[in-house]
Amino acid sequence: MPLTLIKGSDIVKRSYYLILGFLPAAVLIALFFITPAIWGVYSSLTNMALVGKAARHLQFIGFQNYFRLFRDDAFFTSIINSVKYVIGSAIIGQFLLGFVLALLLEYTESKGVKGGNVVYGVVMLAWLTPALVSGFEWGAMYDFYYGTLNNILKIFGLSKINWLGKVPMLSVIIANIWQGTAFSMMIFDSALKTIPPELYEAAKMDGASHWQSIRYITLPLIKNIAVIDLISVTMATFGAFLMIMTITSGGPGMKTTTMSLYAYRSAFENFRIGYGCSISMVLLVINLIFGFTYLKVLKKIS
Amino acid sequence: MFVRSKWIVVCLIVLMMILSIGIVMNAAKKITVRVWYPDESGIKAKYMDQAAEVFKKDFPNVNLEITRFRVPPGDFKTKLLLALASGEGPDVIHFSGGSNIAEFADAGYIVPLDKYVNAWPDWSQYPNAVKSGVTYEGHVYAIPYGLDMRWLYYNKNIFKAVGLPVPWQPKTWNDIINAAIVIKERAPDKIPYVLYAGVAGSGGTLSQGFLPLFYGAGGKLYDSKTGKWIVDSPAYRKTLEYYRQAFLEYKLVPQEVMTLPKPWTTMRKKLFTGELGILYEGGWVYGGAMSMYGPEKTEKAVGYILMPSEDGKFFFTIGGSGTVWYVSAQSKHPELAWEYVKRFNCKDIVAKLNLEAPHPVARMDSANIPEFRAMKYMVDCTNSLKYARFLPIKPELNQVAYRIQLLTSRVASGEMTVEKAMKKYISEIKADLGAENVEVIQ
Repeated sequence: MPLTLIKGSDIVKRSYYLILGFLPAAVLIALFFITPAIWGVYSSLTNMALVGKAARHLQFIGFQNYFRLFRDDAFFTSIINSVKYVIGSAIIGQFLLGFVLALLLEYTESKGVKGGNVVYGVVMLAWLTPALVSGFEWGAMYDFYYGTLNNILKIFGLSKINWLGKVPMLSVIIANIWQGTAFSMMIFDSALKTIPPELYEAAKMDGASHWQSIRYITLPLIKNIAVIDLISVTMATFGAFLMIMTITSGGPGMKTTTMSLYAYRSAFENFRIGYGCSISMVLLVINLIFGFTYLKVLKKIS
Repeated sequence: MFVRSKWIVVCLIVLMMILSIGIVMNAAKKITVRVWYPDESGIKAKYMDQAAEVFKKDFPNVNLEITRFRVPPGDFKTKLLLALASGEGPDVIHFSGGSNIAEFADAGYIVPLDKYVNAWPDWSQYPNAVKSGVTYEGHVYAIPYGLDMRWLYYNKNIFKAVGLPVPWQPKTWNDIINAAIVIKERAPDKIPYVLYAGVAGSGGTLSQGFLPLFYGAGGKLYDSKTGKWIVDSPAYRKTLEYYRQAFLEYKLVPQEVMTLPKPWTTMRKKLFTGELGILYEGGWVYGGAMSMYGPEKTEKAVGYILMPSEDGKFFFTIGGSGTVWYVSAQSKHPELAWEYVKRFNCKDIVAKLNLEAPHPVARMDSANIPEFRAMKYMVDCTNSLKYARFLPIKPELNQVAYRIQLLTSRVASGEMTVEKAMKKYISEIKADLGAENVEVIQ
């Protein structure tokens, strides 16, 4: 029943229930997301530390952490690394690969080819494995001396490759694609299922090629969902930490140190909480910019 | 009938509640002393219990709670600091010394132990070098039990196979490089030499990689007269030049040292299994191998020697206070916390624990027990402490160590020349510590 047809008293009653229903979630979100975020903003404006004199004398230092941050080479390196990681593993990897996989699965299913479910299941298995476990698995794959990949190369008589030394960023990107593609695939798969098959049949009758059906039917119909997927994989990857931490710990040197790793290193290895928080704040702002840009683009193309 | 039994049940419940409240109240009255220690291998538990038994006999009314954390030291530190920052820390802390002493003392987490050690006759058993290793700004803050020292190790089988002398004692840095070149030429399937570098080397990059060279080139990290960190000196350049030669010019050290997640686990194993020729590592590595492969096999496979200085004028080791005991500043009963520390650090426990996990003993009377003197390795590593040079006990050391990790990997990977890497290092350290806290020695 449309809301406009409800009597005034009903609306009050209804919104009362609505509020009551929202309340637990709202309280939890406020407690576990908003409060820490506010605490993070506050901490980033202090010299908060767990060791040394600063641990004893907490001081409000204004924007000093941020001034330092923008003079810190390592911080800029970490931003560039984060962007590389997100473009490589989230946008090119998970998002596109997820889409292509979902498309292939749909296509083979429509042709009556069996085995699609097996592929779906295998991809999902990677996603269901905890990131920590996958991280260790990939670490074992890439290991120079005892790793699976180099042992495979040995079987073919090829010389060993120092994966984590020569191509560290690519290595962690591949591991993350392996782990995360299932999410995008799942989203796209369900989006594709919402497209009525008659549309494709009609297009076929009109003599459209496969590419044309994708271009003019599939893409326009799933673009909203695609943007939502893009936002979530981008944000998740920006904040991602475990995979890189377990495989390379950000090394060699700073080569795979992303912003979240740098924030962690500052806060929990050097124990400068204030400085670590200021890094997270910049990370938050960058994430928001990405989110808004996607939504803007979505509005434009709609 | 039912009514009456109901009443009985109610009465019983009430009685039980009163009793349990009484027990809880009584327990609350009982003083609790909490002890935290990290121990992955589990060797320490029985010694903790031994000390606890004596403690409980002397203080029957005190509740002693000992918690073992099966996590690596870095994770334990995070856990401990978060607990201390929220006021939930233990009374007694067992953790590594070195720069932590300064960091913890500055943060106000630990108390000076001066008044306790002055009244403790056993304190005279600790040599002055050991005492100064736990003294910060004139106060004793920790009690060590077993010290850290390091060796230059070489695999005897590889040395014999390529025609190098065994026993081996290089006189200069060049001797080490030359021996590694011989291994590389005559045994191409072996790794000639491992020198830790980069972030992957963790704490080992500073104390097992950089410092054994830097101190041997006459370098100093901290100028105690001016109270400033030395960020550039000829010793820095010489050390980095050595890194460049070892990694790039002669390709003696594999680049993977900087990319393996925990290079030390791989490299220690390779040293003892005969796949690696030369490695600078902690004394505890030999100790670990003795308990894994047996003392005889270990001695046959691997030799250990002091590190020569650049020009061979002196030989030395890098020393450290090892894992130590602190009394928390948050403890409501520091005198009881101290009583536990004292009981753990008795002659017997210190000797036996160090025999089981070989380290030089902190108190000299522990070295006099027959089992200790019968073990050649224990005598050797305790003697090496005469030649030990220590790390500066300063709260900034961990920050400096991290910058040195980056410095070494930039040179060793060929990413930067020595000159460029030094420039970057100096600017980073200045940003970290403040330009007024650093100095350059020409």
